[in-house]
Amino acid sequence: MLNGFTRSTWQLVAAIIGALYGLGILAFVVAGLVALSFAPEGVAWTTAVLGGSVLVLGWVIVPLVLRGIDQTLSIEKLRSFPIPAGRLLVALLICGVLGIPGIVTALAGVATALSWLRDPIALIAAPFCAVVGVLTCVAASRTVESLTSSLGSKRRYRELMGVLVFIPVILAGPILIAAGQGLATFSADLPTIARTLSFTPLGAAWSIPGDLAAGRGLEALAKAGIALATLALLLLLWRRGLASALLAPPVADTGSSAKGLGPFRWFPATPTGAVAARAAVYWLRDPRYGGSLITVPLIPVMAVVLAITTDSDWMLYAIGPAIAALLMITLTAEISYDGTAFAAHLSTGVSGRADRAGRVLTLSLFSVPLVVLATVVPLIVLDRLDLVPVLLGLGLGIMLTGYGVSSVASTRFLLPVPAAGESPFKSPQGATLTTALITYLVWIIAFALAIPEIVLAIIALVTGDMLFGWLTLAVGVVLGTVLLFVGIDRGGRSLDARGPELLSRLRRANGA
Amino acid sequence: MTDAAPPPVTPPAPPAAPAAEASPAAPAAPAAQAPQTAPAVSAAQSAPAEPALRITGLRKSFGAKAAVDGVELTVPRGSFYGLVGPNGAGKTTTLSMATGLLRPDAGTIEVLGHDVWSDPTRAKALVGVLSDGIKLFDRLTGEQLVTYHGLLNGMDRETTAQRVGDLLDLLDLREAGRTLVVDYSAGMTKKVALACALVHAPRLLVLDEPFESVDPISAANIRDILHGYVDGGGTVIVSSHSMDLVQRMCDHVAVVANGRVLAEGTTDEVRAGSTLEDRFVELVGGRRHNEGPSWLRTS
Repeated sequence: MLNGFTRSTWQLVAAIIGALYGLGILAFVVAGLVALSFAPEGVAWTTAVLGGSVLVLGWVIVPLVLRGIDQTLSIEKLRSFPIPAGRLLVALLICGVLGIPGIVTALAGVATALSWLRDPIALIAAPFCAVVGVLTCVAASRTVESLTSSLGSKRRYRELMGVLVFIPVILAGPILIAAGQGLATFSADLPTIARTLSFTPLGAAWSIPGDLAAGRGLEALAKAGIALATLALLLLLWRRGLASALLAPPVADTGSSAKGLGPFRWFPATPTGAVAARAAVYWLRDPRYGGSLITVPLIPVMAVVLAITTDSDWMLYAIGPAIAALLMITLTAEISYDGTAFAAHLSTGVSGRADRAGRVLTLSLFSVPLVVLATVVPLIVLDRLDLVPVLLGLGLGIMLTGYGVSSVASTRFLLPVPAAGESPFKSPQGATLTTALITYLVWIIAFALAIPEIVLAIIALVTGDMLFGWLTLAVGVVLGTVLLFVGIDRGGRSLDARGPELLSRLRRANGA
Repeated sequence: MTDAAPPPVTPPAPPAAPAAEASPAAPAAPAAQAPQTAPAVSAAQSAPAEPALRITGLRKSFGAKAAVDGVELTVPRGSFYGLVGPNGAGKTTTLSMATGLLRPDAGTIEVLGHDVWSDPTRAKALVGVLSDGIKLFDRLTGEQLVTYHGLLNGMDRETTAQRVGDLLDLLDLREAGRTLVVDYSAGMTKKVALACALVHAPRLLVLDEPFESVDPISAANIRDILHGYVDGGGTVIVSSHSMDLVQRMCDHVAVVANGRVLAEGTTDEVRAGSTLEDRFVELVGGRRHNEGPSWLRTS
């Protein structure tokens, strides 16, 4: 770990920040644990078991997700050294405990003893149990890693995890709200949950001091057995995993193989169809495309959470139009995502219109049904089918208009995007401001062009007149479609005229 | 795939899509003066009316630096043309402009009589391009990528499928056809890019550094394929800074440095009895009043 610091100042800074963060958590935890010693022993026990279980789970899950970010001591790198598996296991175990997460966990674990300040037997037992618990954390983490080490070398997996890891980050707000409320309602059940967990490998070690304090000696003994057996089993599995990984390197990424032509068979065999098929493959395979959709499923989740917490349901009506507004800007980045591969379109002389139309086609194939579903389903649930035409007209109108606008916009502006293969959430320098400006610009123009259906929708919602509802639907779809075709045409011509200049800028953006 | 003569790639393949426009002309036959009428087949074999590529007065500056400074090039039909020059000589810039990827500041470029910048659709249909330093759509499998290029050129599904199969076999990529291009080695990537350049049966192949980071066996295979293509009546332009390779492979050569053509002609004419490499050093070194010491330029 120390060697890593010499490599870069920023790594050192990151490590220090990490350490401070860990210390902060630790101080918080220790303070809490001391406070617990004054609380009724049941509470301390519940907290210890639940916290410990979450800790073990965290140790298993986090490295799986963050695989590829920290591989300082991955087995692949150690394979070339002649170290026997047994000794390597001990070394890795110690390293695991001595890393920042390990130290924090260990200190927090030992600090659980503080909750038992008033109970001598538990106070003595707690540090030993904590050691077992911490070792279990590290061993479980490493076992899972060694058993799945071949998985980490798969590009597909790394990319998937790169996207998934951001879901909790984006959802942090709603999760906290929900967790707070959930905790309030479930707090009565927590001891029961803790009791169940305390007999599983997750919570056993953490439960022993509490059991001793409560005089459940026999249970404590049983749990000690469970905890030790868990640790032994994990070590055994880990050792076997290590030994086999050291002997037979996991097969390197031979590349995922796809069967046949895939989307190229489904779309018509025209330049437009080809662009659409290529876009379809990219929507499925390039995490940057999928990453831009990650916020879409979150909209309904947030709307539902907001609706429950604030006791009003207007957000539920807005799900469809909101998703439409989000989707309409996804096209803006497409040429930027292509990077210099866009040269293929230039050198084959494919018309700009075919390029634009193909991309819109693929996006529409899933976005139109998505918006329809997102609009209609909540209304069915709320039993407000009378609102379907208004909201559908609004959503589709905004989306189609937006596709037209972004078809033009993406030939005028290049967004600074992560290069192919980079993390979809890695933003290049200066990207945030540029991207935000262009996004707002597209939104403003699209909303301005969609004023007719927006006005109609407002009238319909205020008056409740079905006629205006149907009018909104008609105007939204017709006007949106017209603007879409205008956008494809203008964007196509712009692409024909400016293609080489775009490519030059793409080359520069990619440092070529 | 062996190093022995490969099945010849016949460029003017059966009419398919835009490429068909110029296809009726037999391989070695020149197009007639008026491109919009069906080309009349003339008997002249040695001096075709329209060269495969004619570049006149080509200029391109990046900021204050003139990357291409008045390039004049005539690439005869059916030639295997080498473009050699030091790094930064303007080879890539010239070829980018010749293939419609970069807009020239001045000058004209004609492919078989069609101006690349005023009649891009027709000109581009006649050219196959392998660019250096640009990415491919590498999330596609090899088969999908070549198919994509075929369809972008407006070919129909059956023709595309058949040619993709042929090309994958020819380039020994059949196995890898189902793997994503992003997982290919550098040599395989070059080969699949070559397949993309060939799929619409172009009359002219423009290859920028096709042998860079390609292993010797793949390079030999690619050379065989290119020779087969030229024997079938196609024209190949290759940029390279490997003099040896160009001398062995190409029948015509142009030496480019500082954005100008220093020498042009058949390989034997240009090297004038000495080796191409010595001649190159002599030519380029003789012009070193521009910038940089000559020892930096001896490839």
